[in-house]
Amino acid sequence: MTTATSKTRSGAWSGYLFVLPYLLLFTVFLLAPLAYGFSLSFYRRELLSVVPPKLIGLANYSEALHDPYFWKALWATLRFVALCVPFTMLTALSLALGLNGLKGRLQTVLRAAVFVPTVLTISVAGILWRWFYNGEFGLFNAYLHYINIKPPWLTSTGMAMVSIALMTLWWTVGGPTVVLLAGLHNIPPQYMEAAEMDGAVGYRRFRYITLPLLKPVLLFVMVLNIIGSFQVFGQTFMITRGGPEMSTRSLVQYIYETAFNNYRMGYASALSWLLFLVIATFSAAQFRLMRER
Amino acid sequence: MSASPLPTKPNSRHLAYRINAVVMIVAGLLFAAPILLILITAFKPDSEIVKFAGILPHKATLHNFQEILGSPEEIPIFRWFGNSVLISSLVTLLVLTVDSLAAYGLARLNLPGKKWVFGLIVATLMVPGQILLVPVYLILNKLGWLDTPLALIVPAGAGAFGVFLLHQFFLTIPRELEEAAALDGCSKFGIYRHVALPISAPALATLGIFTFVGSWNDFMGPLVFLDSVDKYTLPVGIALFQTSYYAEYGLTLAASVLCTLPVLIAFLLFQRHIIQGIALTGSKE
Repeated sequence: MTTATSKTRSGAWSGYLFVLPYLLLFTVFLLAPLAYGFSLSFYRRELLSVVPPKLIGLANYSEALHDPYFWKALWATLRFVALCVPFTMLTALSLALGLNGLKGRLQTVLRAAVFVPTVLTISVAGILWRWFYNGEFGLFNAYLHYINIKPPWLTSTGMAMVSIALMTLWWTVGGPTVVLLAGLHNIPPQYMEAAEMDGAVGYRRFRYITLPLLKPVLLFVMVLNIIGSFQVFGQTFMITRGGPEMSTRSLVQYIYETAFNNYRMGYASALSWLLFLVIATFSAAQFRLMRER
Repeated sequence: MSASPLPTKPNSRHLAYRINAVVMIVAGLLFAAPILLILITAFKPDSEIVKFAGILPHKATLHNFQEILGSPEEIPIFRWFGNSVLISSLVTLLVLTVDSLAAYGLARLNLPGKKWVFGLIVATLMVPGQILLVPVYLILNKLGWLDTPLALIVPAGAGAFGVFLLHQFFLTIPRELEEAAALDGCSKFGIYRHVALPISAPALATLGIFTFVGSWNDFMGPLVFLDSVDKYTLPVGIALFQTSYYAEYGLTLAASVLCTLPVLIAFLLFQRHIIQGIALTGSKE
């Protein structure tokens, strides 16, 4: 009988039987598609077309760089990231600090309230906010009507992405908030006591004690938030369909339409690797910036 | 509840504490209100939704629910519900099984080269899902799995998150426990089954809930991999529903309630597990 402590060769390899089922799935549905997708990005591959796949080198990539729709989608995505990330981080930090000051039960209940929107599926959240934002009978304008303003929530190219970002803040801020709250819980109370003895209270304590100790968690949450924001799809797809005038069509939506409306698989692959490149660049820059400070 | 890190324990008699509490209660209400609004508004007749006159319905009605549950031909909502339950349950079962086996092997067994294997698995955590969309679609097409539940179940087992989470958890099991079990004649699999799994019940529960909710709420997968309306899951079904019954907000909201209630109940039952799990692993997206 083989025991956990035996270190015979055959015993060692037989342990791989544990890993085998996962490795099989991992290889077929993660590693292989990754390699396949990368190679596809150098091909012209059109589904539902009589033209056979053809190696075209970097042509897909150079097409993207000359494609105004690609740039428009990249711009819309960047706008979304720029609107969403700072507001999400500030809100999450404020909520976490506020919750952290509350006693046990109240803290638990309110933490759940802030978190609960994140368990909604995007189609439900989207339907709900579409109704809120509706210009005719939307909930927001029904109330704003009393003070005689009628914001064009989803109908103006300048405003639509702002509305999407506001909805996203509501939908997703719970995750970062609970992670930051856990980070605050992990700060040893001695630090706070020592700070108080030195007369550091209120803002000074926050600035010189809490913030530096929270920095690793903050960085982690921010990077995840940036990566998630670059992948925005469901919100715009459900609420605006990318309109008006494509002002909210994100890169992921453009990739989706290229692949599954136009069946240009090669070009869609190239676009998705460009998205990956953008995300990787931003995350790397983020890590570097935070480490220097 | 863990002790508060504030120097002086929060004192409910302090003015500052009370101001903070009021602000946070208002914030909590703002976050929860939209969900309550769906529940309330689903009981309004369309005429009251289209012409807004107050939060509460003047004439509460079950009409929306009757309509949506009563016409399975046009709106196969039971079908979608069944598909969602089936897919989410099987995904959860698959993920828990293969991930716990792999994580156990990589964390507790002397496998040659396991550092490399684990490193490779963890590295893929950084890959955004969209990159896999097109190639996985083509692979599923080759396998003939498109427009079947398999397309949503099997690839879900490839994700690295669960292996990573359970691996970190298994590392904390004391050696002595395994050695004692081995002396009692337990095989490697026996130790995994009778020592590692029971000890890790909280981690398995967390991963299970995440996986189930993630799969239940998945939108992109069914949107891309499914074609026939009767194969849909609830989220895409409802999205389609919204396009075809655009003017009938009452029906759409009632459908949303039916889609949301199961996860909402699960969340309220397990909220501690879910939130602590998120705080532990620090990831949602």
